[in-house]
Amino acid sequence: MDLKVDARKCTGCRICEFACNYHQDETISSIGSSLMFYFEEKKNYYGMMVKRAKTLYLGRPEGEQLLKPGEQIEGAGASAKPILLRVACDCCEDEDDGPLCVRACPYGVLSLEG
Amino acid sequence: MELMNNYKETILIVDLDAKQCDTESLSEDMVAAGLGGAGITAALYERYKDRDPLIIGTGFFTGTFMPGGCAGVVSAKSPVSGKLCHVPFGGYAAVELKLTGFDFVVVLGSSDSPVRLWLHDGLSDIDDASDIWGKDVWDSVDKIREAYGDEMIQLLVIGPSAEAQSKAAQFSVNYWGSFDKAALGAVFGAKKLKAIALRGLDSLDVAEGFFGACVDLKNAICSGAISGKSGLKDIARDIGIDAGAIEKLASMTHRNNAAYNCPYAAAAFVKYNEAPSAMDMKGHPAPGCLITDIRGFAALHGAGLDAGQAMEQCFRQGIEPEAAAKAGKTEGVSADAGKAAAFSTAVPASIFGSGQGDAWWQKRQALAAVLGIDPMLMVMAPEITEEKIVALVQMSAEWDEFSADELNRIAADVIAKSA
Ligand code: SF4
Ligand code: SF4
Repeated sequence: MDLKVDARKCTGCRICEFACNYHQDETISSIGSSLMFYFEEKKNYYGMMVKRAKTLYLGRPEGEQLLKPGEQIEGAGASAKPILLRVACDCCEDEDDGPLCVRACPYGVLSLEG
Repeated sequence: MELMNNYKETILIVDLDAKQCDTESLSEDMVAAGLGGAGITAALYERYKDRDPLIIGTGFFTGTFMPGGCAGVVSAKSPVSGKLCHVPFGGYAAVELKLTGFDFVVVLGSSDSPVRLWLHDGLSDIDDASDIWGKDVWDSVDKIREAYGDEMIQLLVIGPSAEAQSKAAQFSVNYWGSFDKAALGAVFGAKKLKAIALRGLDSLDVAEGFFGACVDLKNAICSGAISGKSGLKDIARDIGIDAGAIEKLASMTHRNNAAYNCPYAAAAFVKYNEAPSAMDMKGHPAPGCLITDIRGFAALHGAGLDAGQAMEQCFRQGIEPEAAAKAGKTEGVSADAGKAAAFSTAVPASIFGSGQGDAWWQKRQALAAVLGIDPMLMVMAPEITEEKIVALVQMSAEWDEFSADELNRIAADVIAKSA
């Protein structure tokens, strides 16, 4: 199973990041999340990145992309770099009621597939 | 009461006369008396009112899982009404403020030279801002983010209009203006405070069961009054905005954005420098602007201006758009558009059939300003009942004694102390 992002439905509310942080370390914040919102504000260009165990998944408005270790995150800006240090998404396997980011998203953007 | 589930328990006092920062604790007594946001800024205003305080506060639920918990409040004496007003601000800025480690910021006195306040990681710096004094809001945002090396920095910032202490000025949240219709931007200008820059990487604790209870409320909101509605254009239709302005807005809308944890995307990003449908990252560097104040947009359209570009000019200059529309221009506007109220008149009295009269609206806005809930969502989501609020305050702070009577007292108190 992998987390997928339907980026065109995303509104940038960012609660998924905070929900993931809560799953990872029981606090509300964004810095410990496996998901990361990246944003070029003046262009209103935004999407989500997911740190997976062996790859980095980019859910961008123009489509999905999978990067392997060492590959550049083209154009995602400096705000994208910290994701590489994050703990990988574990699909919330130990959460009884399902993945926290999926439950928190008000817009049906996120899903576990595969 | 478990304060650390809702607060970082710190008030920052910035003395611009002495160019010095100090902190004091946010005590349980203060939270019991005012809960948060405007409930506490109003008390701080009373305490410091001889020194012209400008107070920025986060609400009880700001930065938590509470649906709509995005908002903060700027409280000060309005240069328009001469009374205490509370202007909400959202996006991510209020959450960022709380996660800097400061729940409230009290700015006293005024500086003799332009300054900006830089709050990050529990630290506060009063930095020189001569390099950006006189620059427009967009240039100032870019320069501050570049200077501190982080494009996710959130800002409360003013443009040339507020620097000149115009009553038509507003403070801006990043590039995009604000709901400031009380000229609180001019209070920044009088203090020579160009900007407050925020970057917070701290965290809050979460009470057992609170996440699930908030998800349940979010689901109830999504399937309630807002169900089937989408974006700023549906709000505009509902509140009777002129059809031509709605058509203009709809034709330019690129995406609808939501503030932090908001289940309704009430901001429309409009593009006029490239096709609104363009989704590629490599497009125009500044393709358009983000509209939250639909009345401002409609007023500019009604004044015969190209509303998207006129909004951009207002944002750059830091001018309240309805005042610009009244003057028929977006530069050198000095007169305000109307009378400043205790809570921002940018928020409609009723959205999607929710309205129950003036007293109801005022109480919803007071609650939004105390709790840190998006003021638009408080109007459009009747699912956020007072009963629900009391239950979530109790759960969030593990505070069983909190009651509906207390909630009513706090809302009434904020209303009584404000314009
Ligand atoms: S599925 Fe769980 S671990 Fe993965 S991103 Fe979502 S919240 Fe985080
Ligand atoms: S919670 Fe959903 S809508 Fe909000 S930022 Fe995350 S994916 Fe986008």
